[in-house]
Amino acid sequence: MGSAIEVINLTKQYTNVLAVDRINFEVEEGEVFGFLGPNGAGKTTTIRILTGLTKPSGGEARIFGHDIHREAITAKSYMGIVPEESNVYHDLSAWDNMMFTGELYHISRAERERRAIELLEMFGLYDRRDEKVRGFSKGMKRRLTISMALISNPRLLFLDEPTAGLDVQSTLIIKSVIREQNKRGVTVFLTTHNIEEANVTCDRVAIINRGRIAAIDRPENLKRTIQSAQSVGVAFDKMQLVVVKDLEGIPSVNEVRKEGDKYRLYTEDPPMVLAGTWDYARVHNLRIISLNTMGPSLEDVFVRLTGIAVMPKEGGT
Amino acid sequence: MNGGKLSMVRLKNDLNASWAIAKKDVKIYYLTPPTLMFGILFPLFMFLAFAVGRNAPVTTLIPGLVSITLLFSTSSIGPAVIPTERRVKTYDRLLSAPISSYSIMVGKTLSGFLFGLGIGGIMVIVSLLLFGTQIINAPSLILGLVLPAFCFAMLGIMLAMFPRENPGDIMLMLNFIRLPLIFVSGIFISIESMPYFGQVAAIFSPLTYANDLVRFAFEGKSIYGPVLDSFVLIFFTGAFLAVGRKIESRFQV
Repeated sequence: MGSAIEVINLTKQYTNVLAVDRINFEVEEGEVFGFLGPNGAGKTTTIRILTGLTKPSGGEARIFGHDIHREAITAKSYMGIVPEESNVYHDLSAWDNMMFTGELYHISRAERERRAIELLEMFGLYDRRDEKVRGFSKGMKRRLTISMALISNPRLLFLDEPTAGLDVQSTLIIKSVIREQNKRGVTVFLTTHNIEEANVTCDRVAIINRGRIAAIDRPENLKRTIQSAQSVGVAFDKMQLVVVKDLEGIPSVNEVRKEGDKYRLYTEDPPMVLAGTWDYARVHNLRIISLNTMGPSLEDVFVRLTGIAVMPKEGGT
Repeated sequence: MNGGKLSMVRLKNDLNASWAIAKKDVKIYYLTPPTLMFGILFPLFMFLAFAVGRNAPVTTLIPGLVSITLLFSTSSIGPAVIPTERRVKTYDRLLSAPISSYSIMVGKTLSGFLFGLGIGGIMVIVSLLLFGTQIINAPSLILGLVLPAFCFAMLGIMLAMFPRENPGDIMLMLNFIRLPLIFVSGIFISIESMPYFGQVAAIFSPLTYANDLVRFAFEGKSIYGPVLDSFVLIFFTGAFLAVGRKIESRFQV
């Protein structure tokens, strides 16, 4: 398989800000590639350069071997793009939106009608195809945006926060379609704030921070790099009696975080912490209602590499 | 595919995409308040402000009314539509499609052109039916509607290439150009009666040639002749397209 995307020393300098700083990466054809980073890290600028919307200040970006700047039309013909904001025409019907996009991608009338029926049915919008999009919910607009991106049968699909803020039904439909498209060989370039989504969806992820690639690998490989982020999750019957300082006193515990009705105890030695947790429960006359060990999550990797605080430590009673 | 054939396919694709963009704009924007305001009411009231109370017969005012209606209606579409599409990000949809920038500009120009042609055509029909205006030279009338409509629509598109998201910003620049044009182009005062500097300024105004063509169609009188008028309007259209592309490329972020 060849490269769907090649990025070489890509740089974008705005007047006072270096948004993207000589980044390099490659996305193989058929891969689901996650592009993660905190706000302002350079994700959107990178995706805008890759889709031909922004001119790079330096470096190169190639789509299936075609330079996005010098061979823009050929490069763009391979792509389907789902931007962060659903950019559908509110005063057109769903059907007219599909037809218009098909025309922009030079698809014959018969083919675009066939594809539109197939996609609108797949996304549960066919029955409302003649309604103006203005009356659609956020999830429906999102599904339509993805349908529009797929009408040209793209080899490469850019998805910028595809499921952010959506209802469960829309999220499930979108995730299922992404999986289906990828099975058919479509390369997916996904940016998301939902790190768990990237963890379960992506073959590889890149983490960008302050305009530079901080890490790029398979999610499992990235997790293996930070053993100190292993943890023990525990829930007690009387959570109001638990004192965080006491949990921090358990041998080998590096950090304690409250997560909903549980505590997460970070450690490099889970067996030691398990034993300590049992002792703590016995001494304080608490009953453990759930206890499990967890490896580092992709979110831990993300936090470690970007240096952002996900959740402040919380005090107990 | 060899180079020549590829270019022909690209050209065909670009023209089809331009037509698709124009059709889409017609469906969405023709009846929106900014379009109606800037495209129809503004030129009509401007004309009435200058024409009412003058002793000239109505029929002599018709060519001027047609010309400024074409100028205002066609040039308003791009500045009303493109910044709005930038703001709601639908313009990105066009920019990320496999079509050239020229295709987008021509598509947007076509929608302004069709709008102006429609309004101008209605105006001609009304003047024929209500005021008994006579058409002396039909081919000149067709050229006098088609060429200025395309030229002025391209003027609006050229300015809309400045990367602004507020239609008012572009309308301001546009009015800075088109308001002076109506005073130096022989609409209200004939070019022959203008002072020398006015006559020189008239040469650089595309509205002069549009008005000259329309006047020739209705009155059989022309200063520059319909052939020169047509060529100059085509030249201005090409120049606006080239400058617009330059602006877009210069300000692309």
